[in-house]
Amino acid sequence: MAAESPISDRKVVVHLRATGDAPILKQTKFKIAGNDNFCKVIEFLRRQLRRDTLFVYVNSAFSPNPDELVIDLYNIFALWSLYTCDKNFGFDGKLVVNYASSMAWG
Amino acid sequence: MGGHCLWDGTLSPNDFIASADDLTKKWMAINPNLPQWTWIPCQRMDVSCNAEGYLALENMYQLSASEVNAPTDDENYSAEEAPFDNATLIQSYNDDMHIYDFHIVYSFSYQVPVLYFRGYRCDGHPLHLCDIEKDLPPYSSKIRNESKWTFMTQEEHPYLCCPWYTLHPCGTSDWMKLLLGGDLPSKNPDMLHYLSAWLSVVGQTVGLRIPLELHDKSI
Repeated sequence: MAAESPISDRKVVVHLRATGDAPILKQTKFKIAGNDNFCKVIEFLRRQLRRDTLFVYVNSAFSPNPDELVIDLYNIFALWSLYTCDKNFGFDGKLVVNYASSMAWG
Repeated sequence: MGGHCLWDGTLSPNDFIASADDLTKKWMAINPNLPQWTWIPCQRMDVSCNAEGYLALENMYQLSASEVNAPTDDENYSAEEAPFDNATLIQSYNDDMHIYDFHIVYSFSYQVPVLYFRGYRCDGHPLHLCDIEKDLPPYSSKIRNESKWTFMTQEEHPYLCCPWYTLHPCGTSDWMKLLLGGDLPSKNPDMLHYLSAWLSVVGQTVGLRIPLELHDKSI
C-alpha cells in the first residue's frame, strides 16, 4: 500500500445544499483540495449560480471566514462526530455547505 | 399529522445569557492572550429581568488599511514564512493602529442579539464609518454592501446612551433560522451556540475574526 499522503494533499468531499429559495445545482458533490481556502467554494457557487450575493454556511452551524482551509473545516465536524450522540448530526465524511440567496436591496 | 413548531430564528433573554456565558468561556480557552468578552450587568428601570446585561469586547487592536495580513499567534504558523519584524510593527503601532470596541446587546423588540461597535485612533479620536470601512477586509465590504441582511447604521447604545455604529437586527432572525434551523425543521436549534454561530456571520461583516475553534463543540 502506498504511504498515507500528507495532509496538504488530502481532498475533501463537499456536498452543496440549497436552502431557502436558492436554486439547486445539478451536481451537488465535489472534491476539493484540503489546503484550498473556503473562498474557493464560495466563488464556485457564485459562478455556478451566477449570483454575487450568497449566504454560505456549513452544517447548520456557522459561516466560515473565506480564508479558512477546507481541511480545517472538515476536521471540526470529524471531531464533532466523535463527541455527539445526535443521530441527526449525520456527518458521513462530507463537508456540507449550505447556501441561500442573499439578494441585494432592489 | 405532527405539529412541530418551526423555529423563527430568535432567542429568549435567558438563552442569550446562557449563550453569552458559553461564548465567554470558549473565547477565554481559545484566545487567552487576546482581549476577553466581559459580561456587563445592567438594570433598566422598566425591565424586571434579573440578569440583564450585555457582552463587551474592548481594546481590539486593528492594523489600519495600510497593513495587510496581520500576524496571528496561530500554532500552525509556518516557520517558512518571513520572520516577524518587530521594528515594523512598532512603527505601525503609532501611525496605523486603530482600536475597536464591540458590544453584543440583546434586543427585546427583535429578540435577537445586536452588535454595536466603535473605533478610534490611538489618540482617542473616534473613527467615522468611512475610516472603519477602510480597515475591513474586502469580503466584509461585499457582504455589507450587497446583502439585504446586513447594513450599518448609527444608533444610540441602549445602555450607554451615546451613538455607536450597529448592524441593524431586522434580518437577523431570517438568516439565523437558516443557519441554525438546518435541514430538519423539527430539529431543536442549538441555542447554547447561538451567539458563536451569529458571531461567525456578523464578525465577518465588521472585520472581527472569529477563530474556527470557537465552533468546536468538543471544547
